[in-house]
This record gives sequence, structure tokens and C-alpha cells, in this order.
Amino acid sequence: MKKFLLASLCFWTVMNSRAQSFAASQIPDSLKTNADVVIRLEEKVFEIKSPGHAVIRERHVYTILSEKADDYATYKTTYDKFISINYVNAVLYDASGRELKRFKKKDMQDHPIEGEGSFVSDDRYKIGSFYCHTYPYTVDFEEEDEKNGFMHIDDWFPQPSIQGSVEYSKYTVIAPSDYGVRFKMLNSKITPAITEKSNKKTYTWEIRNLPAIEEIPFSPELICYAPYLMVGPTDIDVEGYKGNMSSWNDFARFYGSLQKGRDMLPEEIRQKVHALTDAVNLPQEKVAVLYDYLQKNTHYVGIQLGIGGWQTFDAAYVAHNKYGDCKALSNFMVALLKEAGIKGYPVIIRGGRDHRDFEKDFTNDPFNHIICCVPLNKDTLWLECTSQYLPAGYLSDFTSNRYGLMVEDNGGELVHTPVYSLADNTQFRSLSARLDAEGTLSVVSNTSYKAACQDPINSFINFRSKEDQLRVLKSKFDLPTYDVTAFDYQQDYSKRLPVIQESMKLTVTNYAQVSGKRIFINPDILSRSSTKLLEDKNRQYDVEFDDEYIHVDSVQILIPEGYQTESKPADIALQNKFGRYSTHTEVGADRIVYYRKLEQYSGRFPGKEYGDVVKFYNQIYNADHSRIVLVRKN
Amino acid sequence: MKSKKLILLGVFAALFQQALFAQEKLDIQFGKVAASDFDLSSQKFDSGSNAVIIADIGKTSFEGNRKSGMTMIFTRFMRVKILNKNGFDIADNRILLYHNGKGDEEKITELKGSTFNLENGRVSEAKLDEKSVFTERYDKHRDITKFTLPDLRQGSVYDITYTIKSDFFFNLRPWSFQGDYPRLWSEYETTIPPVFHYATLMQGDDHFDLKTSKDVYQHFTIIVNNGTEADDFYELSGDSRQQRWVKKNVPALKEEPYTSSVDNYRAKLSFQLHYLQWTQESERHDYLTDWFKASEKLMNDEDFGMKLNHDNAWMSSDVKINTDDCKSDEEKIKKIYAFVRDNFSCTSHEGLYAQSSLKDVYKKKAGSVAEINLLLTAMLRQAHITADPVILSTRSNGVANQSYPLMEEFNYVICEAYSGDKKYTLDASEPLNGFGHLVSDCYNGEARIVNQEKPYIVNLSPDSLRESKTSQVFIVNDEKGFPVGSFETTLGNEESYALREEIKRTTQKDYFKKLQARYGADASIENTGIDSLSHLEDPVSVHYDFDLKNLLSGDVVYFNPMMDEIYKNNPFKSSERHYPVEMPYKMDELYVLSMDIPKGYIVDEIPKSAKVSLNESDGIFEYLIQKNETNIQMRVHLKLNKAYFPVADYPTLRDFFAYVVKKENEQIVFKKIP
Repeated sequence: MKKFLLASLCFWTVMNSRAQSFAASQIPDSLKTNADVVIRLEEKVFEIKSPGHAVIRERHVYTILSEKADDYATYKTTYDKFISINYVNAVLYDASGRELKRFKKKDMQDHPIEGEGSFVSDDRYKIGSFYCHTYPYTVDFEEEDEKNGFMHIDDWFPQPSIQGSVEYSKYTVIAPSDYGVRFKMLNSKITPAITEKSNKKTYTWEIRNLPAIEEIPFSPELICYAPYLMVGPTDIDVEGYKGNMSSWNDFARFYGSLQKGRDMLPEEIRQKVHALTDAVNLPQEKVAVLYDYLQKNTHYVGIQLGIGGWQTFDAAYVAHNKYGDCKALSNFMVALLKEAGIKGYPVIIRGGRDHRDFEKDFTNDPFNHIICCVPLNKDTLWLECTSQYLPAGYLSDFTSNRYGLMVEDNGGELVHTPVYSLADNTQFRSLSARLDAEGTLSVVSNTSYKAACQDPINSFINFRSKEDQLRVLKSKFDLPTYDVTAFDYQQDYSKRLPVIQESMKLTVTNYAQVSGKRIFINPDILSRSSTKLLEDKNRQYDVEFDDEYIHVDSVQILIPEGYQTESKPADIALQNKFGRYSTHTEVGADRIVYYRKLEQYSGRFPGKEYGDVVKFYNQIYNADHSRIVLVRKN
Repeated sequence: MKSKKLILLGVFAALFQQALFAQEKLDIQFGKVAASDFDLSSQKFDSGSNAVIIADIGKTSFEGNRKSGMTMIFTRFMRVKILNKNGFDIADNRILLYHNGKGDEEKITELKGSTFNLENGRVSEAKLDEKSVFTERYDKHRDITKFTLPDLRQGSVYDITYTIKSDFFFNLRPWSFQGDYPRLWSEYETTIPPVFHYATLMQGDDHFDLKTSKDVYQHFTIIVNNGTEADDFYELSGDSRQQRWVKKNVPALKEEPYTSSVDNYRAKLSFQLHYLQWTQESERHDYLTDWFKASEKLMNDEDFGMKLNHDNAWMSSDVKINTDDCKSDEEKIKKIYAFVRDNFSCTSHEGLYAQSSLKDVYKKKAGSVAEINLLLTAMLRQAHITADPVILSTRSNGVANQSYPLMEEFNYVICEAYSGDKKYTLDASEPLNGFGHLVSDCYNGEARIVNQEKPYIVNLSPDSLRESKTSQVFIVNDEKGFPVGSFETTLGNEESYALREEIKRTTQKDYFKKLQARYGADASIENTGIDSLSHLEDPVSVHYDFDLKNLLSGDVVYFNPMMDEIYKNNPFKSSERHYPVEMPYKMDELYVLSMDIPKGYIVDEIPKSAKVSLNESDGIFEYLIQKNETNIQMRVHLKLNKAYFPVADYPTLRDFFAYVVKKENEQIVFKKIP
């Protein structure tokens, strides 16, 4: 009886002391402004026990102020066969800091991670949530993980969302004294406190009282301006594979060592390589022939297993199954090239349409994809080995214009993938149409898309069946009521930059508004801008345009007899640092002739120029939506 | 060792009559692929497809097992041709296998796969190797086996076959004759011993190219471990019923907008265990029943009705606090409903059964839709209100079978409460539902009250749901002669719900910023407001003032009187249609405008008034406009009297909306007085 009393008393006091420190009333007002959640306390300790073993302890205490931040009451943690979760302790407190509920690791749900591009993988996650409808409330999550083999050290991003303010956040890295810890702080001048005791070196970063940020439209990602610490390992040891990550060269050497001996081709494939290439003279052509062989005979299946998804399936596996993930297919391609006496290299890269700043002088792993690079005498060929549809040497906007890490025989270096310029990325459209007296428009459209402008069309025609293409075409255009009566696509891959020709026939019911004596018609049939922007006088952040291209439309519309012009849009010519736009409209006795040209430049512009951006795009919007008014002759 | 001979039921005279009609069979065998098999030019199928299923053949039969019963054997054979590189995905096979956590599990055996390619007239074969078959945990009760085929190319043909053994004879595997790819031949055969009696349910197009039924004599040995070393053997023999269904040249299923669930149109057979009787003498176990018995069973289910029957006195003080000052039953129902809706989070809007006890749900402040609405029912009953749970299948889940009470087809629980002769249909799982409102996904035909005495239907047809919206615009000339105006729209329940949800995620400020962006320079808006956002029972109304300063910028001025309420494009985009149009509700939209003619201008041209109806009485579109010396009056009414339109009505419906779009895009033309 006595024992029981003591135990429960202890529990009560512990509970009470933990609780008191997180009463919502203690939050200063400055941290509540614009905030849906206050990060009361965040602590993470990444302790490197040895190059192959680390222990990570973390604690997150959030006070949730409104239902918009309810997501913070859900705790999710991922793991794979290299990570074991030692414990998770989660507690829910009410506004006064009184404990309401708790859960542990065993109470959490467990799921496999299945995502796009992933068919089989080791990755799983655990998830648990609190539900509270009385605001504010506070959640407190603690976790300890153990990693056997690690290739990166966690970053520190104390303010991960604009909706949250930060009361206190701390990151500690502990490593053996002789272990080199590398780090780089972005967007902040915070430096670590470094102490050393019993052969352990401790690095500590702290931050206090960051207010929440008011939402600003079209601003860059938070990661571009909020404090962000990158930390990198030096020595690593994963399942007996030892290496170093201090420099890009070391990183590449380690990656290369994981793939050693995995490029052996079966005899029949070697013979095939010789049969295909021995008679070909130019190395460029040999590459093209082998790339074509790869494209025709293999395809992508996302099977990511083992060594953090870093070790490739060997070439023989791909030779038998004729499938693999990006590294397996790139590895196979390099092996094919090797057999033909050509040197090719895997390039580790971050694939994606969003462009991020790349920190060249800090070695870490921002990558998620692998392509292949073949440096030839005057020309370097880039090969996307997971695509069946790109011409040899062309990269789509998924991997073009960015840095990647080329893995050479004993090391490697950063390389930059090709940039496709304004003159490369073109869309030329010619429309010839006839308008009848009821307002129905019959259109014949011919469009030529080149380089980056053909990327979306390439996916559209190659990843959908003909039937599906028609279904999409019949509903994608901003037209009142219409039908697509014929369409066709032709790909021209004879040159380095791919071209797709599109031809299409449309019938648009009530395209023009025909009233008693007038016809209202917009001569811009298929290229009307949908971008309408609002002024923002306080904008602080840069404006960024990733893509550059030229779109040209030339339109001819035959009109019914007996009408004359009442009004037509004035010709426009705009030019500034964001681009160039011009239109020209002519109305003749029987036809309308319309010409539109838009050049979009890429670049990053200071936020104070946003007003000019708004003006430019709204002028384009208005011009694109202007109508010609025809009135019946008396 | 003992041996018992039992005579099975169902030995009919028919036994001696061989089925005499010729059976058409597909001459096809795993691994036997000839060069000529690659040529499908004589076959009829959609050439726009990425892959075609040449044959998909499934068989279910039974064998005696060592666990005192019978095991169901399902075998499948599939032959596929890849027509182009986009068809590779069809080869990504995922097979789910169930286990009950007590040692009984479905097992996959004899999994084989081979890809065949035609090279210079010769057929090469690549076999699926064991290392490339992956099995992982999927969820608590299921594992997933995944594999894809080796050496796939454009033009490859592949075969797969596997067997699944299962003791869960409630789940006789259903068969889909239709899916994402066209099928040349789809066949299912069941051979069912007379012990088991299944009801066969068909959905979708019920035409079969072949449909046969015959008796086959079968012999089974069942081993019963009696706890000693010597097992008991039971020998069973008799006529099993063998049924076979074949569909040829089945087109692919296609997703279309305005369908509740394309699954409703999939040609599919499924089976329900009706009853089980081991021998003529033994007891008959009935599984498939009527709604009275099904309700009784559900009410006695530990994961459903029993939760209401438990002593729920622990909630009595909270119920009392909530209802103490209530003067009527109706008031009590409203109070308790609001309490549950506002204090509990719904973690899943899927599922008929409650996994947690109501007490746990209460403590956790969260639960599935079933748990929350059972809690609501329990709290109402605690307050001495008559209330029953109601089960339904949501629109996205498909229509539940009309003939039998099949619990697995239901995925949602709501509550029906009564006060005198008034009834209230309640769903407390949606925090933005007003009292008596349901989200449109619940409107999918017949819902069922779970009450063993009165298992009645609650009709939740989309045709019974009307979504009414009224917009009013007044434009006058201000003291300086500029046109200024006010806009007010009162939304229907659905749109109110959507707007409440949007404002919950963002802010009112964002909403009006977006609206201003849509108007651009044409109008600038001010004095904005949204009413009744927090009065969930009432429709939301949006209002603002605007000025049209930029309108009067020339001698001839064009003005579209529909403002922001216009149908710019036809909502029925595609000119073709395969399935009926199922809208979530009947729409009823009224737009009224009164406008002063701008100072110094006269009306040069005004759209003509028009009135059209859709199929006489299915809908109406009225566009009435008139002017006098100083003012224009307009009234536009768009109303559909039903939510469901058969395929045959699609062209008319699309034409009707084409006309709506045409009229609503018309302009008023003002001319400056010289």
C-alpha cells in the first residue's frame, strides 16, 4: 500500500513539473502574431558513436493555437532496415499544461511507403495522432532512433513553416573527437558552441524567439530565406562498405565502390553489343545505337532495396529481367558502352521540375536520381536511362540545367547538365479557321513544339493511349462547347533537340457571340493567358522565372459576309527584362488575321520589381482576352 | 481409423443427363505460345489501348482438408499482350492475401510467369524468377505479393498463373469481367459441393457469350484431428454444381466526369454464402437472410449494435449537462448532435464496424464514421430519445445490392433520430454539417435503418436533393454618374459546405482577393462579407459592393450582365458518353439583375429573351431581359428537375448547356449619346 502511494505520488509530481513549463499562457504575444502553432521546444541530438553507428534523440513540443495547425498533433516517423526506433513517447496537454493523454510507439500505426515511381522498397513509417478540439493545446513528442550505417547527418531547419513561430530550438551533434563534422549555415549567422570532453566533441546550435511569417503570394520557398543548417559526415561505414563524404570526390568514390563488379554483362548481351556497334564508326552513333537498344529493351520499375537504395542491381539482373530503377538502368547502360569501348559515367542528380539552389561548396546528398553522361571529343552526350522516349543526348526539364555528381573510376566531380535556351524552346502555332453566321468556328491547328516546349507533349503522347489522348483533348481547352474531330502527333528525333508536330481539327459551337447585329470574337483561340496577378506593394522576396521560351501564334479566321469592324484590339508591343510580347490584328473584308508572339525570359528579379511583373502579365492577360466586334453593314 | 460414408444432398435425376450442348473452350495453356499467337489482327478490340488481355480464366473449387473442413482452391491463368511501351504497367501484379491473425491464412502457391517475344519468327521465353517476387506486410490482416514480368517489350506476350488456397469460404473470390484494359476472353468457373450454397450476384452488363451449368460427381476426404494420434476420416461424395461464365471482347472501363462510381458499371460476378449444411441430417447454418435478421445480427454484433446495448451510464452526466436546459426532444437532439459533431474528430470516413469501444472513442475524442455516429446514437438513447443507426454505401463506394442485405457493400454509418413523428437524419462525423444535413457522397439511393423490428429504408436519392442558389445584382449610377453596384448570392447546402471548408483552410481575405483577381480591372470590389459561416444550419451568403469605373471608356461599351455568375464553358466537355450522368443533386440557380443605364449612354443592343426546356420537363433555362428608358431588368433561371440522366439523354443535356453558355456569354451594347 505504501509502495503504491509513493509510486503514484512520484508520477503525479513528474507529470506536474513537465506540465507547468508548457502552459499556453506563457507564450509571449509576439510569438502568437500570424501563428497557428508555436514551436515551444525542439531539441535534436545526433550522436555519432562510430562511422557506422549513430543514435538520434529528439523532442518536439508544439502549442497548437488553431485548427489550421492540427496537423502538428500527428507524429510520423519513417524507418527502414538500417534504422530501429527505440521508443516514441507522446503526450497531450491542455492549455494550462495538464496532461490529457499519451501514446507510445506500440500504439502507432505502421504502414509501407508506397509512392509514385516506387514498386518495391524497404521504407515504412509509423504514425500516431492526438485529437483535441479545445484550443490552444500542447503536444510533446519524444523519439530515439538508432542507425546502423548512415550516409547523411540530419539538417536543422528550426522554422519549417511560415505558420509557426519558434520559442526555442536546439540542435546538437556529438561525435568522437577524431571524427570530422562538416557543416554550413545558410540564411543566418548562428555559429555552434563547441565543447570537448572525454574524447567526444559536441556542437550545439540554438535559436530563440522567431516570430511567424505573414503569407506572401508567389514568394520563394521558406528554405531560401529562413535559417537552415546543413551537416555532413566524413567517414562512413554501411554494411562493411567504408568511405568518406568530405568532398564531392570522396562521395563519388564511395558511391563507385558500392557498384564495383556490378557491371558484368552476360555473354549474349556482349555479343549483341558487338553486333550492333562493331560496324559503326562514329562514337556518337555507337552511343545512339546502344541507347536505342536500351530504350527498346528495358523499362523502369521502381525497386529500391538495400544500402539506402544506393547499390545497384547488377547488369546481369537487368539483362535477364529487362527492367530496373534509375541506377540499375544507368549502370547497365555504362556496361553496354564499356563493352563497345566507350567510357560512360553515372551522374547522381536531383530530378524534378522545381529548381533549387545548389550548394556547390558543401558536400551532402540532395540527390534522388541517376542519369548517364558520355563525354566525347567535342561533344558530351547525356542519357536519361529510364526514358523510352527521349532522343540520345537530350535531357528533359526533369534533369536539364543543374548540377550533378559524375562518378568516375576513382572519385568524381560536379558537372552541369545542358541548358536549353530561349531560341531552343519554341512553340510555333498556325491556325486557320472559318466562322459561320451562328458563331460556330471550325479550326485547323498545326503546332510545332521544340525542346523544353515538347517535354509535356512528349509525356502526353507517350504515356497515354490514343484513346486517352483524345479524351483529354476533348476537355482540356478553354472553349465554350467544342469537339476534336481529328488529331495527330509526329515526333522528329533526327536532331539533338526533339521536335513534335501536332495537327488538330476542332469545331467550337458558339465560339463567337452573335447578337442581333454584332459578332464578338476573340482572335486568340488557343493561347490565351490564364495568369492574372494582384498587386503586392510590400513584396520583399525575389521573383523567379525558371523557364524561357518563345510562343508564336499566327491565326487566320474567315468571317461571314456582310460585316464590318466596329472595334478591334489595338496592336501591342511590350518589352522588359521579363520578356517580350506583341500582337497585331487586321480585319479585312472576309478575314481576320492575328499574330501573337510571347518571349518569356528566365531569371531572378528583386521583389521590388514585382509591380512591373504584375503589370506585364496583366497586360498580356487583357490583350489575350480582347475581342474584335464586327457589326452588320447597313 | 474410422471411416464414415455420408451421402450428400442434391443428387438429382439430372445427374444422369449429361449436358449435351457443345462447350466452347479456349484452347490455351500456360507456356504454350506459338508465333501465330502474337497476331491479334483478326480480333476485335480497341486499338487505342496500351495492352490487351487475351485470356483471363479463373476457377474456384473445393477440396477436403486436415482441419475438419474444406479448403477453397482458386486458380488463375492470364495471358496478356503488350501493345506498346505504355502497357508495361499492366504487368505490375499486386496480389493481396488475407490472414485472420489466428493462424488461418490465404496461401499463394504455384506462381509462374513467363514473357514471350517474337524474334525473327522464333519465340523466346524469359521466366519469372523467384528472387523477383516480393512479399511484404500490407496491413494488419493482409500481406501483399508483388512481381512484374521479365523481358517486356512492345509486342511481348506474357502468361501468369497462380493458385490461392483459402479456408475463408465466406469469401468465394468474385470475378471482374471488365477492367482498365480490354479483354478478348474472360471466364470464371465455380465447382461447388452441395455443402455450400451461394447466391450469385451480377452487376454491369449481364450478357454472357457462354453460360453453362452442370453437375459433376466429386469425392472429398476430410480429416478431423480428434486429439488422439489417430485422425478421423470423413469421406464425402456427391454431385457438385459446376457453373461457367464467359464474356468475349469486353471493352475497357472508362472514367468519366459526373459519375458517382464507374465501378457500378463494371461487369462483375460476386458470391454470397447463403447457407451451409454438411449432410442431409445435420443442422443448416444460414448466412444470407432478410433485413429483419440482418438487422438483428448487426445489433448483436460486438463491433456494432452491442455497443449501444452496453451499459453506457458513464456518459450519463455529460448527456445531462448537454440536455439539462432543453425544453423539447428536438432541442435535445440538436444539442447532442452539435456536441458530438464539434468535439470529436473523424479519423476515417470509411467502414461499417466500430473497432474501439464507445468509451475509448469518447476518451480519445476521435473515431471512424461508424464509431462517431454510433456514439451519437448511444448518447441520444441515453437522453431517452429514440434513435437508430443507419447504414449506407457512399457514392464513391458504389450502389449496394438491392436484393440481399450484404454488409460488405456498406461503408458508412449515420443516425436517424425521432421526436414525435418528426425524423432527423444525422451525420456527426463532418464538422461542417448543419443539423439534418448530409454530405452529397451519402446521397446514393437507399440507406437502411438498423432496427430488427423496423429495418426500413431511408431514401437518400440525389433526385431528392435540391441545390438552390440565388444571386442578386443591383447597379446604379452614383452621384458622379459612374456605375456602382452591389452583389449578393445565397448558396445551396453543397456550395455552402464547400465555401465553409475553403474559408477554414484559408481566410475570407484570400477568398475576396481571388475574386478581385478574377474581375481584374473590370470591377473593384469593397465592403465584402460572408454571412452565416458559423451558422451551419443556414446557407452561406456572399456579398460585396463594386464599381465599374473602367466600363465607360469608349463611345461603344460592351457589358456582360452575368458578372461572375457566368457559365463560360460547357460543363459537359466531351462529345461522347459511355455511362449515365449522375449529378450529386438537382440544381436550381436564379440570377436577378437590375441595372441603371449608364449616364450619357443609350442601349444599342440587348440580348434577346429566351426560354428553353430540357426534354420537356427535365429542366428549364429562362433568360429574360427587358429595358425601359432608364433601366435594365434581367432574370436568369437554370433548373434541372433530376440528377440522373441516361446515356441516351447525354447529347440533349450537352446541347442544353451549350445553349446556356451561348446565352450567358451575350453582351449588352451601350452607345454614347452624341
